[in-house]
Amino acid sequence: MNKQRWFPGDPRQVGSDPDYRFTLANERTFLAWIRTSLALAAGGLGAVTILDDFPGEEFLGIGLLALSFATAATAYRRWALNERAMRLDEPLPPSKLPATMAVGVALVAVAAAVFFVIDTL
Amino acid sequence: MARQDRPSQVFDAGLQQERTALAWERTAIASMVAGVLLARYSAQELHVAVAAIGILQVVLGAVLLIWTGMHYDDLHGPLRSGESPVHPLAARVVGLATVCFSGLALIVAFAIALR
Repeated sequence: MNKQRWFPGDPRQVGSDPDYRFTLANERTFLAWIRTSLALAAGGLGAVTILDDFPGEEFLGIGLLALSFATAATAYRRWALNERAMRLDEPLPPSKLPATMAVGVALVAVAAAVFFVIDTL
Repeated sequence: MARQDRPSQVFDAGLQQERTALAWERTAIASMVAGVLLARYSAQELHVAVAAIGILQVVLGAVLLIWTGMHYDDLHGPLRSGESPVHPLAARVVGLATVCFSGLALIVAFAIALR
Protein backbone atom coordinates (compact mmCIF):
# COMPACT_ATOMS: atom_id res chain seq x y z
CA MET A 1 0.00 0.00 0.00
CA ASN A 2 1.28 3.37 -1.03
CA LYS A 3 0.65 5.02 2.33
CA GLN A 4 2.91 2.63 4.22
CA ARG A 5 6.07 3.56 2.35
CA TRP A 6 8.81 5.49 4.14
CA PHE A 7 9.53 7.74 1.20
CA PRO A 8 6.22 8.62 -0.49
CA GLY A 9 6.38 9.88 -4.07
CA ASP A 10 5.26 13.20 -5.50
CA PRO A 11 1.85 13.99 -3.94
CA ARG A 12 0.83 15.80 -7.15
CA GLN A 13 0.19 12.39 -8.76
CA VAL A 14 -3.24 12.21 -7.12
CA GLY A 15 -6.24 14.47 -6.57
CA SER A 16 -6.47 18.19 -7.29
CA ASP A 17 -4.68 21.28 -5.96
CA PRO A 18 -6.02 22.33 -2.54
CA ASP A 19 -6.30 25.98 -1.42
CA TYR A 20 -2.72 27.31 -1.64
CA ARG A 21 -2.92 28.46 2.01
CA PHE A 22 -3.29 24.85 3.15
CA THR A 23 -0.28 23.80 1.07
CA LEU A 24 1.79 26.59 2.63
CA ALA A 25 0.54 25.72 6.14
CA ASN A 26 1.58 22.08 5.57
CA GLU A 27 5.00 23.30 4.40
CA ARG A 28 5.40 25.43 7.54
CA THR A 29 4.45 22.48 9.74
CA PHE A 30 7.07 20.35 7.98
CA LEU A 31 9.68 23.08 8.51
CA ALA A 32 8.70 23.37 12.19
CA TRP A 33 9.42 19.63 12.61
CA ILE A 34 12.75 20.01 10.80
CA ARG A 35 13.67 22.87 13.14
CA THR A 36 12.61 20.75 16.13
CA SER A 37 14.97 18.05 14.90
CA LEU A 38 17.81 20.56 14.40
CA ALA A 39 17.17 22.11 17.85
CA LEU A 40 17.28 18.65 19.47
CA ALA A 41 20.56 17.94 17.63
CA ALA A 42 21.95 21.28 18.80
CA GLY A 43 20.83 20.47 22.36
CA GLY A 44 22.43 17.03 22.21
CA LEU A 45 25.69 18.35 20.78
CA GLY A 46 25.61 21.14 23.37
CA ALA A 47 25.17 18.58 26.17
CA VAL A 48 28.17 16.47 25.14
CA THR A 49 30.33 19.58 24.54
CA ILE A 50 29.47 21.79 27.52
CA LEU A 51 28.69 19.23 30.26
CA ASP A 52 32.26 18.03 30.74
CA ASP A 53 32.74 15.68 33.71
CA PHE A 54 28.99 15.66 34.38
CA PRO A 55 27.58 12.17 35.09
CA GLY A 56 25.39 10.91 32.25
CA GLU A 57 26.73 13.52 29.84
CA GLU A 58 26.81 10.97 27.01
CA PHE A 59 23.42 9.53 27.94
CA LEU A 60 21.74 12.96 27.71
CA GLY A 61 23.52 13.92 24.49
CA ILE A 62 22.84 10.65 22.70
CA GLY A 63 19.23 10.63 23.96
CA LEU A 64 18.58 14.07 22.45
CA LEU A 65 20.36 13.14 19.21
CA ALA A 66 18.24 9.97 18.93
CA LEU A 67 15.06 12.05 19.34
CA SER A 68 16.42 14.42 16.68
CA PHE A 69 16.96 11.52 14.28
CA ALA A 70 13.46 10.13 14.87
CA THR A 71 11.94 13.54 14.14
CA ALA A 72 13.98 14.10 10.98
CA ALA A 73 13.29 10.58 9.71
CA THR A 74 9.51 11.04 9.80
CA ALA A 75 9.24 14.72 8.71
CA TYR A 76 9.18 14.29 4.91
CA ARG A 77 6.82 11.31 5.08
CA ARG A 78 4.34 13.28 7.20
CA TRP A 79 4.53 16.24 4.82
CA ALA A 80 3.87 14.06 1.76
CA LEU A 81 1.02 12.10 3.37
CA ASN A 82 -0.65 15.33 4.60
CA GLU A 83 -0.34 16.89 1.14
CA ARG A 84 -1.76 13.75 -0.44
CA ALA A 85 -4.70 13.66 1.98
CA MET A 86 -5.48 17.34 1.28
CA ARG A 87 -5.40 16.72 -2.49
CA LEU A 88 -7.84 13.80 -2.10
CA ASP A 89 -9.99 15.77 0.38
CA GLU A 90 -9.44 13.06 3.00
CA PRO A 91 -8.85 13.56 6.75
CA LEU A 92 -5.18 14.09 7.63
CA PRO A 93 -3.44 10.86 8.71
CA PRO A 94 -2.94 10.49 12.48
CA SER A 95 0.58 10.55 13.89
CA LYS A 96 2.17 9.19 17.05
CA LEU A 97 5.16 11.51 16.71
CA PRO A 98 3.93 14.41 18.94
CA ALA A 99 3.15 11.98 21.79
CA THR A 100 6.44 10.10 21.28
CA MET A 101 8.36 13.36 21.30
CA ALA A 102 6.63 14.60 24.48
CA VAL A 103 7.42 11.37 26.34
CA GLY A 104 10.97 11.23 24.98
CA VAL A 105 11.85 14.82 25.93
CA ALA A 106 10.23 14.33 29.36
CA LEU A 107 12.36 11.21 29.96
CA VAL A 108 15.55 13.08 29.02
CA ALA A 109 14.55 15.95 31.33
CA VAL A 110 13.89 13.57 34.26
CA ALA A 111 17.21 11.81 33.59
CA ALA A 112 18.97 15.20 33.58
CA ALA A 113 17.39 16.07 36.95
CA VAL A 114 18.48 12.70 38.43
CA PHE A 115 22.05 13.17 37.14
CA PHE A 116 22.08 16.68 38.58
CA VAL A 117 21.08 15.38 42.03
CA ILE A 118 23.76 12.65 41.81
CA ASP A 119 26.31 15.29 40.82
CA THR A 120 25.55 17.57 43.77
CA LEU A 121 25.55 14.77 46.39
CA MET B 1 12.36 31.67 -14.46
CA ALA B 2 11.70 35.38 -15.08
CA ARG B 3 11.43 37.42 -11.94
CA GLN B 4 7.91 38.75 -11.33
CA ASP B 5 7.08 42.29 -10.26
CA ARG B 6 6.33 42.65 -6.57
CA PRO B 7 2.59 43.17 -5.95
CA SER B 8 1.44 46.70 -5.13
CA GLN B 9 -1.45 45.45 -2.97
CA VAL B 10 -1.91 42.56 -0.58
CA PHE B 11 -3.04 39.60 -2.65
CA ASP B 12 -2.26 37.06 0.04
CA ALA B 13 -4.66 37.35 3.00
CA GLY B 14 -2.89 36.51 6.26
CA LEU B 15 0.51 36.84 4.56
CA GLN B 16 0.77 33.06 4.24
CA GLN B 17 3.53 33.25 1.68
CA GLU B 18 5.66 35.61 3.76
CA ARG B 19 5.21 33.47 6.88
CA THR B 20 6.26 30.42 4.91
CA ALA B 21 9.35 32.21 3.57
CA LEU B 22 10.26 33.21 7.14
CA ALA B 23 9.82 29.59 8.27
CA TRP B 24 12.28 28.56 5.53
CA GLU B 25 14.74 31.22 6.70
CA ARG B 26 14.50 30.12 10.35
CA THR B 27 15.10 26.55 9.25
CA ALA B 28 18.15 27.57 7.20
CA ILE B 29 19.60 29.48 10.17
CA ALA B 30 18.91 26.53 12.51
CA SER B 31 20.80 24.27 10.04
CA MET B 32 23.80 26.57 10.17
CA VAL B 33 23.79 26.71 13.99
CA ALA B 34 23.56 22.92 14.32
CA GLY B 35 26.30 22.53 11.69
CA VAL B 36 28.67 24.84 13.57
CA LEU B 37 28.10 22.90 16.82
CA LEU B 38 28.85 19.55 15.14
CA ALA B 39 31.95 20.96 13.39
CA ARG B 40 33.35 22.30 16.65
CA TYR B 41 32.55 19.17 18.68
CA SER B 42 34.00 16.70 16.17
CA ALA B 43 37.12 18.79 15.48
CA GLN B 44 37.76 19.05 19.21
CA GLU B 45 37.10 15.45 20.20
CA LEU B 46 37.75 13.33 17.08
CA HIS B 47 39.55 14.76 14.06
CA VAL B 48 39.50 17.96 12.02
CA ALA B 49 38.37 15.97 8.95
CA VAL B 50 35.12 14.93 10.68
CA ALA B 51 34.26 18.63 11.05
CA ALA B 52 33.58 18.60 7.28
CA ILE B 53 30.12 17.13 8.01
CA GLY B 54 29.26 20.16 10.11
CA ILE B 55 30.77 22.61 7.58
CA LEU B 56 28.71 20.96 4.82
CA GLN B 57 25.55 21.55 6.86
CA VAL B 58 26.51 25.23 7.31
CA VAL B 59 27.02 25.60 3.54
CA LEU B 60 23.69 23.88 2.92
CA GLY B 61 21.97 26.30 5.31
CA ALA B 62 23.53 29.26 3.50
CA VAL B 63 22.42 27.95 0.09
CA LEU B 64 18.93 27.35 1.48
CA LEU B 65 18.81 30.93 2.80
CA ILE B 66 19.66 32.35 -0.63
CA TRP B 67 17.23 30.00 -2.39
CA THR B 68 14.45 31.06 0.01
CA GLY B 69 14.84 34.72 -0.91
CA MET B 70 14.79 33.96 -4.64
CA HIS B 71 11.90 31.51 -4.34
CA TYR B 72 9.85 34.08 -2.38
CA ASP B 73 10.12 36.53 -5.28
CA ASP B 74 9.51 33.87 -7.94
CA LEU B 75 6.32 32.65 -6.27
CA HIS B 76 4.39 35.94 -6.46
CA GLY B 77 3.36 35.44 -10.08
CA PRO B 78 2.31 31.77 -9.92
CA LEU B 79 0.36 32.39 -6.69
CA ARG B 80 -1.56 35.28 -8.20
CA SER B 81 -2.44 33.20 -11.25
CA GLY B 82 -3.78 30.44 -8.99
CA GLU B 83 -1.01 27.84 -9.29
CA SER B 84 -0.24 25.53 -6.36
CA PRO B 85 2.96 26.49 -4.47
CA VAL B 86 3.65 22.83 -3.60
CA HIS B 87 7.39 22.04 -3.85
CA PRO B 88 8.13 18.32 -3.23
CA LEU B 89 11.79 18.64 -4.29
CA ALA B 90 12.57 21.26 -1.63
CA ALA B 91 10.85 19.17 1.05
CA ARG B 92 12.76 16.09 -0.09
CA VAL B 93 16.17 17.78 -0.14
CA VAL B 94 15.71 19.41 3.27
CA GLY B 95 14.15 16.27 4.79
CA LEU B 96 16.93 13.97 3.58
CA ALA B 97 19.71 16.43 4.47
CA THR B 98 18.37 16.70 8.03
CA VAL B 99 18.12 12.90 8.39
CA CYS B 100 21.74 12.55 7.19
CA PHE B 101 22.98 15.32 9.48
CA SER B 102 21.15 13.98 12.51
CA GLY B 103 22.28 10.40 11.86
CA LEU B 104 25.92 11.41 11.37
CA ALA B 105 25.82 13.54 14.55
CA LEU B 106 24.49 10.49 16.41
CA ILE B 107 27.30 8.30 15.00
CA VAL B 108 29.94 10.90 15.96
CA ALA B 109 28.56 11.14 19.52
CA PHE B 110 28.57 7.32 19.80
CA ALA B 111 32.13 7.10 18.47
CA ILE B 112 33.32 9.62 21.06
CA ALA B 113 31.37 7.99 23.92
CA LEU B 114 32.77 4.51 23.11
CA ARG B 115 36.41 5.59 22.93
